[in-house]
Amino acid sequence: MPIQILPARLANQIAAGEVVERPASVIKELVENSLDAGATRIEVEVDKGGHKRILVRDNGSGIVQQELELALSRHATSKIASLDDLEAIMSLGFRGEALASISSVSRLSLTSRPQAQEQAWQAACEGRDMAVKLMPVAHPQGTSVEVLDLFFNTPARRKFLRTEKTEFNHIDEVIKRIALSRFDVAFSLKHNGKLLRNFPVADNDKARLKRVGQVCGGNFGNDAMLVQSEFQGLKLWGWVLPSAVGMADQQYCYVNGRMMRDKLVNHAIRQAFEGWLPPEGHAAYVLYLELDARQVDVNVHPAKHEVRFHQARMVHDFIYRAITDVLERPLNEADSENTPPQVHSLPAVEPKHDYITPLRPKVGEATSGYRTSRDVSSAAASAYQSLMRPAAPVTSAQTQTVDQWILVKAKWLLLMLENDCCLLPLYKLEQYKMLQQFSTRPVSQPLLMPIAIAGDDRLLSLAREKREECRALGLDIATLPNKVLLKQVPAGFRQTDWASLLPRVLESAEGQSKYCLVQGLAANDKEYQQAQAQALLSWSQQHFGSQWQRQLAAWSKALPLEQWLDE
Amino acid sequence: MKPIQPANCPPASVDELLARAHALAGLSLGELADLASIATPQDLRRHKGWSGQLLELWLGAQAGSKPQQDFPQLGVELKTLPIDEQGRPLETTYVCYAPLTGIAGLTWETSNVRNKLSQVCWIPIEASRHIPPAQRRVATAFLWSPCAQEERLLRQDWEELMDLIALGQIENISARHGQVLQLRPKAADGSALTQAVGTDGQFIMTRPRGFYLKKPFTQSLLNQAFC
Repeated sequence: MPIQILPARLANQIAAGEVVERPASVIKELVENSLDAGATRIEVEVDKGGHKRILVRDNGSGIVQQELELALSRHATSKIASLDDLEAIMSLGFRGEALASISSVSRLSLTSRPQAQEQAWQAACEGRDMAVKLMPVAHPQGTSVEVLDLFFNTPARRKFLRTEKTEFNHIDEVIKRIALSRFDVAFSLKHNGKLLRNFPVADNDKARLKRVGQVCGGNFGNDAMLVQSEFQGLKLWGWVLPSAVGMADQQYCYVNGRMMRDKLVNHAIRQAFEGWLPPEGHAAYVLYLELDARQVDVNVHPAKHEVRFHQARMVHDFIYRAITDVLERPLNEADSENTPPQVHSLPAVEPKHDYITPLRPKVGEATSGYRTSRDVSSAAASAYQSLMRPAAPVTSAQTQTVDQWILVKAKWLLLMLENDCCLLPLYKLEQYKMLQQFSTRPVSQPLLMPIAIAGDDRLLSLAREKREECRALGLDIATLPNKVLLKQVPAGFRQTDWASLLPRVLESAEGQSKYCLVQGLAANDKEYQQAQAQALLSWSQQHFGSQWQRQLAAWSKALPLEQWLDE
Repeated sequence: MKPIQPANCPPASVDELLARAHALAGLSLGELADLASIATPQDLRRHKGWSGQLLELWLGAQAGSKPQQDFPQLGVELKTLPIDEQGRPLETTYVCYAPLTGIAGLTWETSNVRNKLSQVCWIPIEASRHIPPAQRRVATAFLWSPCAQEERLLRQDWEELMDLIALGQIENISARHGQVLQLRPKAADGSALTQAVGTDGQFIMTRPRGFYLKKPFTQSLLNQAFC
């Protein structure tokens, strides 16, 4: 099959698969549109469980004639205009899919009259490309959407529809959920011409509680406990009833006015009720969570049943604590109707460190924040820094630099010195450099595992005698009854074979320790890498200044290159 | 030379603590035990924590197995770090118990992990399996506080793990979660159980968990101190 763009209707039908599951989901989408249009009265009429006919009529702002056609096409919405709007959604819808999806799987007509328009217009679309037909009709201010024969053209979906009664129960549930989300809007629901639900506007506490009682039934309206908490920009209010008997599933939860079946929210609520419920009992609750719209992402699920919180655990814990707080409050306090309900501000959680002793100045300093620097004496630190700093680049004043040299057998440098071709043994240069450095106490570094050297009494007594002398060379040694321990070595020489070198240093003649150490560290068969050779060469140029070539030549063997070339 | 002796009082300063610890470097656990007149066990499988206790004795820590920082007045935690001959950590490092209930509102700033790790005196110990306890040597101790980058890593892992615990996902947490910090069962045997929060918010019984530092992290601390 060749690749082709899907016809508009088919694309919409596919999208409908996510959003339009059953008549109840159609009603949810349409009623949410009405709410977003600012309606204060919404009437829903259903015939035969929504299989045959669904009508949603509101008194909202309406849609002007010119936009009716657009309203029915996919990805068309007035609710957001840019990605920034998506970051902070306050409207219920925003995807711009509902009407297009529904009209692709039913016979939909959209009738609307904004206040400023004299005439109402009706739009209906049909055919493969969903061409829209407009005609003038009579209609009060607001919008009506009529959906006939849902899934008439998608038999596969139609098969999933349940009996009229079941589908109507779903619709009823949706209306109840929405009714609890907006106390300032009146809702009514008719089934087969019979008025079954009627929720007038509830503009005071008593009326609100009445609506809650109507929806949840039973004793909820009388027995429920009021929740009102806030903490760091989060607000939770509503009612809970831990001892709900025979009222399974009276669980309503809203995030920023959006009804929700969110796992995280349910988890927190369930956790809070743990221990308060009879076995197999259910909690009943109507709860409203309000938070900054930027703290929550509603663009997770097409039907928006789930949200994502940026600070998931904080929200979870807030809900848990707010409800626990109410449940644990003494009954008489929670019940007293005389006291006006007060917003209960949750205290910050106190850390529980039973192992911290009362703070003393020193401890406060250590635990109040991490220190960025380690405990190193400043002298050692600066010495260490100078060690770590790369050699300063040779300035152009000393332009006697050689940039051409060859490392021979990893031991010698072949280079031009004072116009002679010379072979310089690197160990001599390094030994000289070390002696310079060892004239003051070098930076020493601890060994992860001190090196133990077994020795006889003679070596041990030598070690005790030369302890200070060694310390001046960056060697920290200690003695045990039968061995010498080497704990610190000059920086950069951790890998040296100290087990054989240290006894030689200790046994060297009076005053010769330094030379013995240097000869050991830079033995005449020591091998160097390019970078090490380069570093030594740079050091010598800096150290000797203008004299460097002469100095290096003195250590080198001149090759009679000119002579060979002449021959 | 004068023989060194176990400390009979807590160190008065961090420097004194470090000096005491450095004095032990290179000595074997057997030597330390003999000097302190303590019996050395033949193997540590039935004497878990023996080496830690021995070092606590030598350094003058009072806590024992109490849930206290080892040097509360200095704000320093003592941690032994078993290493192999190449100086690589042999196992993950236990930090503290992971709270599984009553954690609502807990933040990193007030967490036990952050508190315990705010300043640590690490004492690496040679501990390859084939070396009998008496011959295992103590290496050079070093003091450590997390740098900004290390704290960021620890914090990220802690927050991610605590999120999972709070949301009832504890049974789905494996030792592979976390970059530097991991959560693992912590118990003498598998039969000990404690309360936690389940997937639906109900209480469940599960094995107690502890926070552990992963090996690459402790390796990086060793590298910082000795390379």
